[in-house]
Amino acid sequence: MAEKKRAVRIYHRNLAMVLGLILLVFILIPVFVKSPYVLNVFVLVFYMSTLSMAWNLLGGMTGQNSLGHAAYMGLGAYACCLLITKTGANPWLAAIFGMVVVGLVAGIIFYPCFILKGPYFTLVSIAFGEALRQFIINSSFFGRASGIGLPFGKDSWLDFRFGSKVPYYYVGLIMVLGVYLLMKKIERSRMGYALRTIREDEDAAAAIGINPTRYKIMAVVVSAMVAALVGFFYASYIRYIDPELMVQAKSTESVLPAVVGGAAYVEGPLVGGLIMIPLSEFLRAKYSAILPGINMLMYAVALLAVIRFRPAGILGWYMHSNVKTFIDTKLLRKPSVDVLEEVELAQYHKEEV
Amino acid sequence: MSDSPIIEVQHITKRFKGLTAVKDVSFSIKEGAITGMIGPNGAGKSTTFNMICGYYPPTEGQIFFRGQDITSKKAHEYTNMKIARTFQIMKPLKNLSVLENVMASAYFGHAAAKNEREAKEKAMEVLQFTGLYEKRHVISKDMGTPDQKRLEMARALVTSPELLFLDENMAGLNPAETEAAIQLIRKINESGVTIFLIEHIMQAVVSLCEEVIVLHHGEKIAEGTPEQVMNDPYVMEVYLGTKKEDAAHA
Repeated sequence: MAEKKRAVRIYHRNLAMVLGLILLVFILIPVFVKSPYVLNVFVLVFYMSTLSMAWNLLGGMTGQNSLGHAAYMGLGAYACCLLITKTGANPWLAAIFGMVVVGLVAGIIFYPCFILKGPYFTLVSIAFGEALRQFIINSSFFGRASGIGLPFGKDSWLDFRFGSKVPYYYVGLIMVLGVYLLMKKIERSRMGYALRTIREDEDAAAAIGINPTRYKIMAVVVSAMVAALVGFFYASYIRYIDPELMVQAKSTESVLPAVVGGAAYVEGPLVGGLIMIPLSEFLRAKYSAILPGINMLMYAVALLAVIRFRPAGILGWYMHSNVKTFIDTKLLRKPSVDVLEEVELAQYHKEEV
Repeated sequence: MSDSPIIEVQHITKRFKGLTAVKDVSFSIKEGAITGMIGPNGAGKSTTFNMICGYYPPTEGQIFFRGQDITSKKAHEYTNMKIARTFQIMKPLKNLSVLENVMASAYFGHAAAKNEREAKEKAMEVLQFTGLYEKRHVISKDMGTPDQKRLEMARALVTSPELLFLDENMAGLNPAETEAAIQLIRKINESGVTIFLIEHIMQAVVSLCEEVIVLHHGEKIAEGTPEQVMNDPYVMEVYLGTKKEDAAHA
């Protein structure tokens, strides 16, 4: 037993070291990389991955494919910007305000929509996004098509306003990590199990006492609130928003990292985001000047290749691959499932005594 | 265990547009017993079952659980009343392990686990009871039908029900597997759970049930002990057809 406990301890230590190393690399990147362009790509990766995680809670975990996440993000951005420009409120307070507003709007609008299933729900989410965009284009309160700009000024943490990209990099990194931990927590909680049961079959979910509508609403609200947080971050970073933010293509962009990375996994959007967004930016920088549009074509080919050859996403492949077995056993020295379980149960037992 | 019925069904009728699937059916389920429902395909067994389990309300009639009217209760409210069910077509969380499947159910119902540890402990206990313990780390979609049927039962049992509905839990099993399933159902019943089951396999019905209800064309045509029901002339006619000489006499 003592030996097994030691093996588990070594494994946990190795795992912590590898994860710590990855985190350290990300923390040190701005120290060594000075190019604003490269930092911009990283910031883009951070907020698009966060948006994709928001989508994944609803699309991946609950099986409700939404194509309206750009609308939540846009609405969040608008709510924050309007509060800041009209009342001069502090941006951090405006972020909370934006999240609450978007959470409420999503909850109220989608409550009656959850009698719709599968593709019909997706259609409603598209219609919701487009309706909201048209409303904003035609409303002078929202600044019509010309959008809203946030005031510029000297660097300030209180106003979340910087000339350099480095602070945005770190705030983005904290946001992506925070949302990841939240999603991980949800996955392992009662709510996570409820959502995954609903994804498989709503009747089966009801049979074990899950109220499908209640949990789907919870998922929509949390997902929309995270999207609103991304909207706040985007508005503070770019310092200008317009209704173009909510176009359908942006919603699709929020789906891609999750699908490419593996929608069944909480980590999927992170992996997908880290691969697809730099690829897209690289192709744009390298080829769009040579032959306009060729970058989009190459991006599409890369996307098709993933969907054709790795339909479960990159993580879906990795989880069952020899690469993982190799890393687990050789690098991390992961003990067998039985040993892990035995130690865990022994731990429970010890706490009881 | 008292003699009063745990479930009382009074004159339920279900019409789907013009089609009457179940017509004026009444019966009761005795607490602590195993009650079976049989009938040919399309007799309305599953419709009756789904009405009692809250999946759709009856067009007419009422359903009582321990004297309380539960006719309009929703399916997801049943677990809290200590009632659980399984499905004829298994609905496991395909990509999760057996243990995780059972843990998911352990989080809900009247005795819901408060944290991961409690859920795991409850799940382990039920897995031992249902004989799935050795397979707890297998991904559920990789298991065969008999084990998936067992998993269905484990997921229902972990909500600690007092009344368990089993929908064709033995369909697709071979005789040895059927025997094992019968043993398990008896063991569940002996632990104090009232059972109501739909079954096609007569061997199972005869050896398990104290009371049998026979449906045909949406109507109840007989009820009683398995022997009484098997010897009922109308039931024999429905299941075996009429004898030639009987037909000639008529």
